[in-house]
Amino acid sequence: MDIIIIMCIGIFIGKLLKQKPIKRGNEKIQLLCTLLLIFSMGVMTGKEENFFRKLSSLGFISFLFFFIPTVLSILFVYYLTKKFMEKKEENHKMLRSRKK
Amino acid sequence: MTGFTIAALIVGIFCGVSGYENTILSLITDNTNIILYILMLCVGISIGMQEGILKKLREYHIKVFIIPFGIIVGSFLGGMICSGITDIPLEQGTAIASGMGWYSLAGATISELAGAEIGSIAFISNLMREIFSFFLIPFIALKFNDYTCIAPAGATSEDTTLPMIWKYTNEETVVLSVLNGMICSFFVPVLISLCFDIF
Repeated sequence: MDIIIIMCIGIFIGKLLKQKPIKRGNEKIQLLCTLLLIFSMGVMTGKEENFFRKLSSLGFISFLFFFIPTVLSILFVYYLTKKFMEKKEENHKMLRSRKK
Repeated sequence: MTGFTIAALIVGIFCGVSGYENTILSLITDNTNIILYILMLCVGISIGMQEGILKKLREYHIKVFIIPFGIIVGSFLGGMICSGITDIPLEQGTAIASGMGWYSLAGATISELAGAEIGSIAFISNLMREIFSFFLIPFIALKFNDYTCIAPAGATSEDTTLPMIWKYTNEETVVLSVLNGMICSFFVPVLISLCFDIF
């Protein structure tokens, strides 16, 4: 929950500051923090016992966590857009042709 | 960006495997929670600085939320199924899938909240989502519809995968893609945090 609170404080600060130099500086800090966290994650992962043996199973699990959520996202978005967005487009087109 | 993050991960793994230690390295690994808080503050500032987003959201009305809703529900259910298959706890599984392609943030945050191994899975799986999106978008544009091209891209639909969406769809889908990216990017840290709080 503290992450959400800190992010909301950031949104509030962002609304107050709208200068480009700050935006660029903010992006650089974001990049630096991300790289430090990823680097730290690498150090922790590398320190684990039997790291190289674990690597192959991590790869397969990661593939599952990519594949299933992505396929379900595609199916859900396709169903929702087919039902709610494409119909509206067709209705608009029909109305336009009737007016003509 | 992708190159830098992969390099940071590889150098980190190398340091970990070799057992190399020094003051700077310890300073970084011992203070990851502070780094994460700074990152979250900066992410919030970026969102707050985006101009005209409310106007655009009003312009597209409820229509703009249909695609992010489908992506979030699909990803979340996918995470639940994956945690069932792999015996990874539900809160961790749903958090990994909630990354929606934003591999750097998901990897870094989840590693801090659930450990390096789960963080690595979050990093690799979300990186795969971004990379495979480039190959999936042309196929989806051909077999499904234009709007569905945004689905695999998830949170990356406003930046890295946008050129592919631009190439294979139309102007309206590109605008919806940018808005979808903004909405999903906002929800990535929120959902990850909520997964660990709720389950």
